[in-house]
Amino acid sequence: MIYVQTVRSPVARGSVRSISFPKLPAGYRSILPADIPGRNGIVSFGAEVPILAQDAISYAGEPVALLAGPDPLRLEELVAETKVLCDSVEPFLCWESFSSEQVAVKRLATTGDPELAFSIASSVLEATYTSGAIEHYYSEPQGAAAAYDYDKIAIWSATQWPYHVRDSVALALGCKAQEVSVRPMKLGVHLDGKLWYPSLLSCQAAVASVVCGRPAKILLTREEDFLYSPKRARSSVSVRSALGRSGELTALDIRIAINVGAYAPLAEEILSQAVLVCAGAYACPNLRVEGYAVKTNTPPMGAFGGLGASHSLFAIEAHANRVAQAIGEDPADWKSRNVLRKGSLLLTGEPIKEETPYEALLAKVAAASDYRRKYAGYELVRKRRSGRSDGPIRGIGISLAYQGAGPFLSGEASNSYTVEATLNKDLGVRILTSAAAGAGGVVEVWRQSAAEILGVDLEKVAVASPDTDQAPDSGPSTLSRNVSVVNRLVLRACEAVQKRRFRDPLPITARSVHRVPKPIKWEGGQVSGAPFDTVAWACAVVELELDAATLEPRPLGVWLCVDGGKVVSPDRAKSALRASVADALGTCLAERFEPGAGSDPSAYFRYGLLPLNRLPPISIDFLEASGKEPVKGIGELPFDTVPAAFLAALSQASDSALSSLPVPAATILKAMEIL
Amino acid sequence: MTITFILNGEDVSAKVRVPDRLSDVLRDGFGLLGVRSDCRSGRCGRCLVFLGGSLVPSCLVPAFSARGKEIVTIEGYAQTDDYADIVAGFADAGVETCGFCEGPKIMVAAALLERDPRPAPLTIIEHMSAAPCRCTDPDSLVKAVQAVAERRANRIYRRAGQ
Repeated sequence: MIYVQTVRSPVARGSVRSISFPKLPAGYRSILPADIPGRNGIVSFGAEVPILAQDAISYAGEPVALLAGPDPLRLEELVAETKVLCDSVEPFLCWESFSSEQVAVKRLATTGDPELAFSIASSVLEATYTSGAIEHYYSEPQGAAAAYDYDKIAIWSATQWPYHVRDSVALALGCKAQEVSVRPMKLGVHLDGKLWYPSLLSCQAAVASVVCGRPAKILLTREEDFLYSPKRARSSVSVRSALGRSGELTALDIRIAINVGAYAPLAEEILSQAVLVCAGAYACPNLRVEGYAVKTNTPPMGAFGGLGASHSLFAIEAHANRVAQAIGEDPADWKSRNVLRKGSLLLTGEPIKEETPYEALLAKVAAASDYRRKYAGYELVRKRRSGRSDGPIRGIGISLAYQGAGPFLSGEASNSYTVEATLNKDLGVRILTSAAAGAGGVVEVWRQSAAEILGVDLEKVAVASPDTDQAPDSGPSTLSRNVSVVNRLVLRACEAVQKRRFRDPLPITARSVHRVPKPIKWEGGQVSGAPFDTVAWACAVVELELDAATLEPRPLGVWLCVDGGKVVSPDRAKSALRASVADALGTCLAERFEPGAGSDPSAYFRYGLLPLNRLPPISIDFLEASGKEPVKGIGELPFDTVPAAFLAALSQASDSALSSLPVPAATILKAMEIL
Repeated sequence: MTITFILNGEDVSAKVRVPDRLSDVLRDGFGLLGVRSDCRSGRCGRCLVFLGGSLVPSCLVPAFSARGKEIVTIEGYAQTDDYADIVAGFADAGVETCGFCEGPKIMVAAALLERDPRPAPLTIIEHMSAAPCRCTDPDSLVKAVQAVAERRANRIYRRAGQ
């Protein structure tokens, strides 16, 4: 086995002039772009990321060469002694305002007549909301290993998308896809941080293995992973709203800018999702939205607990709370008047087919949190308060969101979901899918679904390893797609087996392939199609206390009520949602950093998860599902609801209009002084 | 240099260099893959081991300083009755970890219960922050450690009664 370490660019933008390696001991060798036998790039959603940068450098820390050898400690020294000389150019770092050459993807959509609606509006309110970069802090840093296994090159990597790894390695080595075998490793909690990046590391390991003729392994340290792997993209969402005489929402004008960093590998998907849900849970007859995925010279940015929707949902919920406060109405009531209802049109022109569950969710969550009484009380205190208080001051906020789940909206992944089920002679069931299950009991959901359809014991159902040699392509696995799309395919494949069960001899095998009934189309400022297979709803309340001296917010409680359709294992789902609420609170209180032009190792040491002792009691509840409701993806809902509710609570406690999280004490103080 | 120490109850020796970290020696030299070396800065808790009875992040311990001491990794701890209590207690409370943080969480719970057989919820939460991970909700961890304490107490009482 040889280890592989990365030589990285010292500049954010420019080109490599020369790389001087120290004298390499026997058994060690350098790997340059010219050593890559096939294509020097991996393709993700139409964007190409180089395996090793050759002509142009796009971010500080970009891989420019590899060093391979038997001793990782010696390799560390050799990498440190390697000198990379670059011609540097002024990097693009601005993204809230940007030049046209920075635009990776643009999306425009209009419904109704927003201009007319704004011209006759009773009041117009405008604000901008920003979301910061968030580290996934997955269970294990990214890595990959590669070795020849007879006539194939085998890749071991913890990836959400095994077939992407396979195809990328095949391109890099210039071989057939069938000559690459990907053996996915345990993922743990990934929060969508292991979608395409493992493919890059797998290509580097595969190239090193082929060049050196030995098994090769690359494993990033936590610090390297923090500094150079994708994070949640930063976003800035400006919302301008028009209200009618009685405070009803008549129009929205929304501008979304998402900083997708260098190369923009997931930009199309992230932006599409953000634009599609930009009006959040609200019915708006006149809507104009323009969205931009903006490239900058920072490491590639990506998804986090969902693929972009949380940017818009945070902004629109924060804005809804601000609108309600501006017209002196309880946000819960304003939301109730403006929420999407049966028959309301979505941005795509598709009508909502069923009654939305907001009232039921609100009733449950308000009763559990005593929201109405607390909101009225804290509002009274806020209005009567003059200047800074001596004691702790409290606030409470509410937010509402939906999570659509379905296949990806863009790129090559849209139509590649397949699951195979086999009923064997011993009545054992084998499920084959390349969907890699992370933490959260997804495999149990699939097993339970199969056991119910085929009427066999749960112990008889096995989900095979998602090895690309045997499992069919089930697309990129994200938690919500694993629960919604892949689970539905498991059900269908098992139903197909069941139909043939007493007609054909065992073993019986059936495949189920997902077809997108109405793919999303963006044409001439209009968007059409049905983006989501299932829609789950949630309502969250956050109550907090603001220390009057330090201005440090201390959450007192979080209440989340979810309409998640059929919940296969309520205890397990509650536990997973509670963990996600804790993570979402972490993004409100502690987790944020600003990737810049250079690698700042101290950022890694400043960043950390929220200590568990800062978490308040977290209450999770579900709406009772009717018998035939499908299993829905619900894992993103805490990230879609909790931050906006937190911001509303903090704004009420501080009596100020805040627009981003986490909020440093200095910003709260400044906002309080302005008001 | 060659050092000798007690590893999971056995006398062992290892050739180490000055810059070697204990975590690397345990993992690469002795194949103890339960000791992970992720952050190499003592923050992630994946490499926790008992060194001379104290719970320490082995990535921050120079390997040579283990000379003459007793080290227990999760593999060694898994052979004890206490480990069985903890695993059963975690299962009772419905704790489902991602797998990567399970060992560290067990080690932290063990160290805590060694010091405080009936820890308060806040104490449990504070200690469990030593093995940070996004996978497990804090309520389950509190219930789990309390369930372990209960099991352990029952086992000790049973033994005392025999």
